[in-house]
Amino acid sequence: MNLNLLDLQRSLQKNGVLITFSGRFTQEIIEELGDAVRKYMETESTQYKTHDVFAVFIEQTQNAKNYASCQSEFAYGERIANSGIVAIGKDEQGYFVSSGNMIVSDDVGPLKEKLAMIASLDKIGLKKLYKEQMKKTFDSESNGAGLGLIDMARRASGQLQYSIQDIDGQVSFFTLKVQV
Amino acid sequence: MENLCIEQTKSTPTIQFDVANNKLRIAGQSYPENAFKFYEPIFNWLDQYMAEIDRETVLEIYFHMPYINTSSSKCIMMLLEKMENAYQEGRKVAIQWYYNREDESALECAEEFKEDLLLPFTIVVLDDE
Repeated sequence: MNLNLLDLQRSLQKNGVLITFSGRFTQEIIEELGDAVRKYMETESTQYKTHDVFAVFIEQTQNAKNYASCQSEFAYGERIANSGIVAIGKDEQGYFVSSGNMIVSDDVGPLKEKLAMIASLDKIGLKKLYKEQMKKTFDSESNGAGLGLIDMARRASGQLQYSIQDIDGQVSFFTLKVQV
Repeated sequence: MENLCIEQTKSTPTIQFDVANNKLRIAGQSYPENAFKFYEPIFNWLDQYMAEIDRETVLEIYFHMPYINTSSSKCIMMLLEKMENAYQEGRKVAIQWYYNREDESALECAEEFKEDLLLPFTIVVLDDE
């Protein structure tokens, strides 16, 4: 037996992971997991925190899913679509929502720039940026409104934490952790 | 003009547009796969309605949305801006935004929508049933 579930479980527990999913994000999976997240949080925490954890979960997974749909016609479409992972957990700092997915290496630069810009702003600056972005016309290329990262930064208790790991020069793995 | 009625799903709100009474009700959570695609028929419907009704008729819009993802928020903002423009042109519009008392996030969300608008926008608290 190659897959050692006990090791996997220990690793999840050690990192405080409560709920996790790895694979292709679909709207149905996002809705079902979202329900599970909310039900779990409702028994554990305040309504306010439950709302924030749920909201960050939705933004992260829909971001990953929308990115995958934008890439579906291109060379790495399948790899990207299958590279999704999300984990909701609790550590010393409180609740967190982490998500990961592959991105085309060419997108690393612009993503880093956007994250750096977000990191440079305080809550008031983030609200202003959110409102500006809200007034822009819809980007018909993606399903998104370009608001997800800003919204997560507004809900986060600290800065957005992220890492980008090169996989093979063509694609990189982007991990985002939001402490709520 | 016919009524518009869209049933609620897990990730989309119910839409009830009652033409005879000039009331539009949007209730439920909103985080569909493609928000713009969901809201577009409502925008079109509103445009048609505004073009057809008497200028003195008051359109009342009721919102009760406990959770709205960012792309749906953008659509709601587009809807509100459409109404704001109509209001600035002398049309009659009234927004009522309901939230459950213990749901502070929904209140913050309503306040943020209200901030940039001049049209009548009332935030109404609902107590637990």
